[in-house]
Amino acid sequence: MMSEKKELYLGYSSDKAVTPFFQEFLEALDQEKLMKSVCTECGTEFLPPRQHCQKCISLCELKEFTETEAKLRSYVVVDFAPESLTSKAPYVVAIGEFPSGLRLTAHITNLMSVPEVGMALKLAFEHIDDKKLTYKFLV
Amino acid sequence: MARKVAVVAAGHSKFGKRYDATMRELCAEAYKPIYDAGVTQDKIDATVLSYAASQFTGQGAGSALMADYLGLQNIPHLRVESACTTGTASLRAAWGMVAAGLYDVMLVLGVEQMNRVSSAVATEYMSQAGDMRWEYPYGISFPAFYALMASRYMYEYDMPHEVLSRISVKSHHYGAQNPKAHLPREVTLEEANNAVPICRPLNLYDCSLITDGAAGVVIAAEDRVKEFTDQPMWITGIGAGASAMMIQDRESLTSIPGAKRAAKAAYDMAGVGPKDLDMVQVHDCFSIAELIAYEDLGLAEPGKGRELIENKEVYHDSRIPVNCDGGLKSKGHPLGATGLSMTYEILKQMRGEAENQSRQIDDVKIGLAHNVGQSGQFVNVFIFERGW
Repeated sequence: MMSEKKELYLGYSSDKAVTPFFQEFLEALDQEKLMKSVCTECGTEFLPPRQHCQKCISLCELKEFTETEAKLRSYVVVDFAPESLTSKAPYVVAIGEFPSGLRLTAHITNLMSVPEVGMALKLAFEHIDDKKLTYKFLV
Repeated sequence: MARKVAVVAAGHSKFGKRYDATMRELCAEAYKPIYDAGVTQDKIDATVLSYAASQFTGQGAGSALMADYLGLQNIPHLRVESACTTGTASLRAAWGMVAAGLYDVMLVLGVEQMNRVSSAVATEYMSQAGDMRWEYPYGISFPAFYALMASRYMYEYDMPHEVLSRISVKSHHYGAQNPKAHLPREVTLEEANNAVPICRPLNLYDCSLITDGAAGVVIAAEDRVKEFTDQPMWITGIGAGASAMMIQDRESLTSIPGAKRAAKAAYDMAGVGPKDLDMVQVHDCFSIAELIAYEDLGLAEPGKGRELIENKEVYHDSRIPVNCDGGLKSKGHPLGATGLSMTYEILKQMRGEAENQSRQIDDVKIGLAHNVGQSGQFVNVFIFERGW
């Protein structure tokens, strides 16, 4: 169990309603494990996870997502940010695609220049000021 | 069997930073020309009065306020919301009610007042139309969604940013000729290509405006049309589409799948194709959105949309005029009004009444409006045909 409630992500709370399912996701993230969800009926996989299967609306269970190498499908360098993230700009949002075809949207945090579509990304984790958690990409 | 339905009147406020008005006065500005054309309150059976986001004004139950201010307080009304397609979604809802025989004459009016908050706050509100759990925390603003499409498009088709800037140059060329436009001034290709970045690869001139404004139309059933006009514009095709909520889940980032489905449905319903169109209004919330729209609507093959702008085939006196009112980029984009502003423009062009005849398109018989919500989660495509 996490010692205190933590939030997924940067400067602003993402989702005020933390369900038990999402709490389990956050607790795994606190251990630097990213969870996908797998439908208990049809086996369809989702990343990021969802509690109900998009295909058959059955319940899903969380399973550790073990892929770590992705390719950059697309990116944006956000220069003018929404108010809640103004202090973080510029930042890079990436869509990474893993070999399985599953995709993830996250920041790339260690770029020294504008990224290139197709470049290799590595999944990483970050604990921000001990209260926020995130997954991210590194190049 | 559905009844035929026509647009019989339309009105449009000045778009811009309207610190001189609130949503109620903007609605009156759009309704006044409709009233003056003879569609007084007593001739309206019901209304759809809409805006996309109540956060901008804090006003709840806004359709009641709008109805009351327009002297329509005793007439049934409702609000429809679907992000930036709120205007055409309202028209689609009203069309269904008139076609089904529930009402004969309806006013459809859309408004948005966006400039009572700062640009950063407006950007915040619009980013909340992304997935609040998985996208919003990463600061994916409205332009960021389209920048993700632009990055991929430029990669797949090896296209320089300058192509997008040519679209912005066209938008401002026509916005400069539209007295209703928010930012009516020409820009050079150099200015457009070198503007400050907003969400790279998109810069300031790739992005539509945060605009206050209203637009409205009146629709009537076939047997009532002649009471209002001898120049009706028939609604002959309606297509609606949708796309995955999270942009990462789209199989393509170089097309909006819901727009392709909406276009096909509208073409099939109207019995026409892209080659039959005399003018097109597309949802150019960003320059890349206009380029993708050329392809999603079948005006160009995938990856070939750039040829339309590079060869100036989308200018008012060329093969297929697109957004010759300045579009969302220069005319402005008050979310709830935009789809009805497109409808207004097609009616005016069809009647030969373009505001500033320098941009009048010759002999418009068939026009298409393409209205996209958020990054493609909602799409409406309408086809209109001249009725005289």
